[in-house]
Amino acid sequence: MGSGDIITPLVMGLLLGGLYALIALGLSMVFGVMRLINLAHGDLVALGSYGAYALMTVVGIDPIVGLVISVPAMFLLGLAIQKYLMGRAFAISSEAPLIIAFGISLVIQNANQIAWTPLSRALNTPYSHMSFTIGARQFPLSYLLDFAAGVVVMLALRYFLTSTYLGRAITAASQDKKAAQLMGINTNRVYGYAFAIAMASAAIAGVFLGMTFPFTPTSGVSFLTIAFGTVIIGGLGSMLGTFIGGMILGVFQTLGGYFLGPAFQMLIVYVIVLVILAVRPQGLFGR
Amino acid sequence: MGFKTLRQKINLVLTVTCVVVLAALPVIGAPQSWLLYAFLFFVYLAMANMWNLLAGYSGLISLCQPAFLGLAGYTLAIGTWVGIPWWAGLLGGAIVAGVFALLISIPVFRLSGIYFAIGTLVVPEALRMVFYLWRPVGGQMHGAGAGYMIKEIGGVSTDLMYWWALVVGIGSILLVRLILRSNLGLGLAAIRDNERAAASCGVSVFKLKLYTFIVAAVVTGLAGGVYYLYQGYIEPSATFNVKWTMTLLLATVIGGIRTEEGPVIGTIVVVFLYFLLARYAGYSLLIQGIILIGIMLLSPQGIVGVLRRSRLYRYVAECGAP
Repeated sequence: MGSGDIITPLVMGLLLGGLYALIALGLSMVFGVMRLINLAHGDLVALGSYGAYALMTVVGIDPIVGLVISVPAMFLLGLAIQKYLMGRAFAISSEAPLIIAFGISLVIQNANQIAWTPLSRALNTPYSHMSFTIGARQFPLSYLLDFAAGVVVMLALRYFLTSTYLGRAITAASQDKKAAQLMGINTNRVYGYAFAIAMASAAIAGVFLGMTFPFTPTSGVSFLTIAFGTVIIGGLGSMLGTFIGGMILGVFQTLGGYFLGPAFQMLIVYVIVLVILAVRPQGLFGR
Repeated sequence: MGFKTLRQKINLVLTVTCVVVLAALPVIGAPQSWLLYAFLFFVYLAMANMWNLLAGYSGLISLCQPAFLGLAGYTLAIGTWVGIPWWAGLLGGAIVAGVFALLISIPVFRLSGIYFAIGTLVVPEALRMVFYLWRPVGGQMHGAGAGYMIKEIGGVSTDLMYWWALVVGIGSILLVRLILRSNLGLGLAAIRDNERAAASCGVSVFKLKLYTFIVAAVVTGLAGGVYYLYQGYIEPSATFNVKWTMTLLLATVIGGIRTEEGPVIGTIVVVFLYFLLARYAGYSLLIQGIILIGIMLLSPQGIVGVLRRSRLYRYVAECGAP
């Protein structure tokens, strides 16, 4: 801080935006398809970070390579949660899924704490502390990886949703559930896959987040706020909007930290979320 | 409503006896631990009743209750540092909570349903940051973050704090009863059944929800103030903590959301759990989370839902019906 150079925080904010979009994609997907704000999403991302941490410290697998194991595992867990908990909750009342998501969030949070203690952890790899230079300025390599991962996952999801049968079925169910059912789409199955895909994306987000920032068992709420802020700024349903929302939030955060000091970074995110809710609840790019 | 049947008289006498016995507990020399249980019961009861009023009756799934009780607690604590008497701090805290509810209603009331829930979830998180960074009075830090001792309450006996809690707890039951039987309650019932139909019949949806939100904030704040008066110390991370929300949610859902007696029964269970789980403090959120999910799936109407199917309950309920 205080180097008098505004370009560095600006670029870092934009790169960070990729990570934020990555965190938000799962939330956006579950909301778009199931009309559920998954209050457990932040804790699922934290679970992804801890999963990678476990694989790295216990087995010695690189976090990114470890995704080969953690993504399918989270996918299956997602299918199970949707089938045994969320699917039933939707039949009970409109607030039941929300309360159950809240319960899941607390269970994951406490389980992480029991397994890994409340201490702050980080995914330290040989390359996570490297940096690259643009002109005369140095940037952490992990931020570039975040951005790349965000772009890759976004493009992959976009391809999946527009060009595969299951993806189109998910899109159809999110646009009009009844019509989709009449067209022979098993919406329960679609919901299951949507939730599972969201959890798989949470696993990926968790890994890159853990390489960029330290995390604790209670980090879930701030991850959720970041995801929600991104979705709110970008507007729901649009992948590109989510990505731009992430970058705007990232830039606000790094610039806020630059001008006001690092302690204010998260506070700025919270305030921006509340201000945008007050001014434009449908999001900056929403209809 | 003018005359009362014998059953109703018996019920009234029983209720009054219960309250009198509870009020007399400190005087008749009940063990300190009992008093603590009862104290926590009243504080949680007031907050759970308010959450039930919001989530159960008004469709406002508010996850920002820690903000209200925390702000009230801080008002009380900071007040004692600048020479405001503790009782004025308690009342002032409740008012601050109410004003704050009015302020945050500007952003969060533009949201409905799930958006409202998440919008409110952000509020205590932001406040926690604020109170970590902002220290209005007293230069030196006391403990973690911006913690405050509540000063000059040496003269306040625990009995007095207990009675405050009792008044707030029992008062919250009466308040919910009163609200649900007033025009406000009728309007809320109409909104709950069909918001659009209610609005087109001239029910001012926004206003009614806002009133409920503010009332809930004031009472939650008052209960929070009483709690921190007893605690004697306040700091941001335990105050603006999701654990509070969890407790209220659990009490309401276990007892039975959208029932008047639900929070009472649920709070008894929660206080019981609290002391049962004290030994396993590290696991308590996990266990509570599992209970919450289990109850929601197996009996969405909570314990009251199960009881309502039994004959004894119907008999007692007839007694209590006005």
